[in-house]
Amino acid sequence: MSRLTGDLKAFAKMFTRSKAGLFFTFLLPILFIVLFGAMFSQSTNTVTIPVQNLDGGQASISFMNALNQTGVIHVQIIPASEDLNTYIKDHSLSIALQIPQNFTSDFSRRMSNPQAPLATATLYGDPTKSTYQEAQGATNGAVEAMSFHLANVTSVMEVQAQALPSAKGYNYMDLFLPGIIGMTVMTVSLYSMTNICSNYRSKGYFKLLSTTTIRKYEWMLTKFIVYSVMLTASLLVSYSVGVLAFGMTSSITLLTFAFILAGAFLFISLGMLIGTGIKDEESGVAIANAIGFPMMFLSGSFFSIESFPSFLQSVAAFLPLTYLNNGLRDTMVYGNDASALLNLAVVLVVGVVLMVAASRLMSWKEE
Amino acid sequence: MRAAIVVDRLSKIYGDIRAVDDISFKVEAGQVFSLLGHNGAGKTTTVEMLEGLRNPTSGTAHIFDVDVANGYSKLRQKVGILPQDFEPFERLKPVEAVEYWGSLFDLKLTKQQCSDLLASVDLSHRQGVLSQHLSGGEKRKLGIAMAMVNRPELLFLDEPTTGLDPKARRDLWELIGTLKSKGTTIFLTTHYLDEAEVLSDHIAIMNKGKIVADGSPMEIIQKFGRRPTVTLVGAGTKGLEELRRQDVEATLKNEDVIVSVSDPSEIANWMVRLNTAGVEVKDLQIKRDTLEDVFLQMIASQKEEATQ
Repeated sequence: MSRLTGDLKAFAKMFTRSKAGLFFTFLLPILFIVLFGAMFSQSTNTVTIPVQNLDGGQASISFMNALNQTGVIHVQIIPASEDLNTYIKDHSLSIALQIPQNFTSDFSRRMSNPQAPLATATLYGDPTKSTYQEAQGATNGAVEAMSFHLANVTSVMEVQAQALPSAKGYNYMDLFLPGIIGMTVMTVSLYSMTNICSNYRSKGYFKLLSTTTIRKYEWMLTKFIVYSVMLTASLLVSYSVGVLAFGMTSSITLLTFAFILAGAFLFISLGMLIGTGIKDEESGVAIANAIGFPMMFLSGSFFSIESFPSFLQSVAAFLPLTYLNNGLRDTMVYGNDASALLNLAVVLVVGVVLMVAASRLMSWKEE
Repeated sequence: MRAAIVVDRLSKIYGDIRAVDDISFKVEAGQVFSLLGHNGAGKTTTVEMLEGLRNPTSGTAHIFDVDVANGYSKLRQKVGILPQDFEPFERLKPVEAVEYWGSLFDLKLTKQQCSDLLASVDLSHRQGVLSQHLSGGEKRKLGIAMAMVNRPELLFLDEPTTGLDPKARRDLWELIGTLKSKGTTIFLTTHYLDEAEVLSDHIAIMNKGKIVADGSPMEIIQKFGRRPTVTLVGAGTKGLEELRRQDVEATLKNEDVIVSVSDPSEIANWMVRLNTAGVEVKDLQIKRDTLEDVFLQMIASQKEEATQ
């Protein structure tokens, strides 16, 4: 057995016997896919609004019907006998609509006299929350629809929703999975490599290795091969779960595999670079977390970068995982290979820079 | 006899600290050579320079006539190393670890060869257990087995018994004895003076980067130790007077006479004369300094000198 196959075989055994390694490679991405898939894939996009009708007149009933007919709002009745503040507190409600006692009379007065005050219902809730904003939009829509109907006015224009040709047929999971794959490539390669480097240094394995015939680049190569194989297996498992459980229709392309290899290369290099200056395992874990954890969230693994404030979007542009995630989405979801290749080039260039730096700084001997 | 290691004026300096200060010594092939010293004496730095892990600031070290600093690659196949506080790869079984380590020396070891190697360190019964489940002693034995995969002519054992229980220590002593009997040169560093005294053919004692004593354990004890004392149990005042009559300096403690001896052959003559004079000696106890006594005295006197 040559030293290369010997090191490859030994490291593969050590990796596959590591419960943490297997968890981060296979179980964690599956957990994310199943949890996020369950939460968002089957979303009906309806908002439940508890409504207290203190009026009971015809106008208030018509308004409640209009709310129900939006298809976005599901009305839940709060008994008129309840004190609304107490009810909200007791039932931990984040949103509630109250139709006041004189709603129908105000409504009738306004109908006959345009100068009279508007009939007003009140939407209680936290305006910073997205559910409040959705409810507000839907109630305003219902109010306008009802007003148009009463004024006998018909709409003269509309905006029709149409899926992009490139994204046609894709669901939430199709867009989510590439981020999870990117995250897995990052966590497995970066965390493991940082851990291995600090472990090998603290236990003196690097010094021992330097007395054998194996070369540094051979040792790095075997790590890259093992991680690439494991991450490719992880990709196939995660993709299968996405297809079988959530009907994903995005596809694995040749470029997807290229991204796995390039990503593993990049984050192994980063892990080695971090590991060069760390002598104990605890510090290694802490530093890998300090770098990897924010990167996971800021690089669009879970959320679209476009929804971030502009300064965070600028931060994301400096994170290598952003290019891995974007590239994976380009090739798997949008079929935009030109953009994917550009992202791949960024990942490779950053990987090469980090690998050169790590190789130069990493010494197996100690001075 | 062929020299396995020749160290000539070797120094390692870190800033203002002379970790190893102009040391010279020689290790004969087939010997067990022990380098002794307290923590920070410079032992590990010396060993790591010999293992090619650190470059000396000045001086040279040759192993089997090869300059270590410039030609360690030529020595890889001849040298085995058990580093200080060795921990095996946790998720490899001993048999896998030995096979793996062999591959790093470009050796194709068969399963049988790996098993034989483990048997030589008495680990056959544990070869299929993950190394993380081995005891401290078993881990060191595995380390020695790994260090021996390339059948080294020279084996560096850096504090191999530190932290082990007495039984595991004795087992390792036995193993070192077996390796020596097979002709392996062993370079041992240890804190344990009794270990060095039992195992070593030659000893060098380091203090503050320098070698302060060098020789066989007996030579060092004789050269640096106090004279042996003989206690003549129950010889009493009569025995004391008889010895003084013969110009022998002696003291009385309770009913025992204590004599400091420069030449042990004199003891037989005294006994004859005491017997002739009718002095009854119930028992004869001889006490001589151990290597540990000598080591502690040397370190203490050097501290005293430094204070003055």
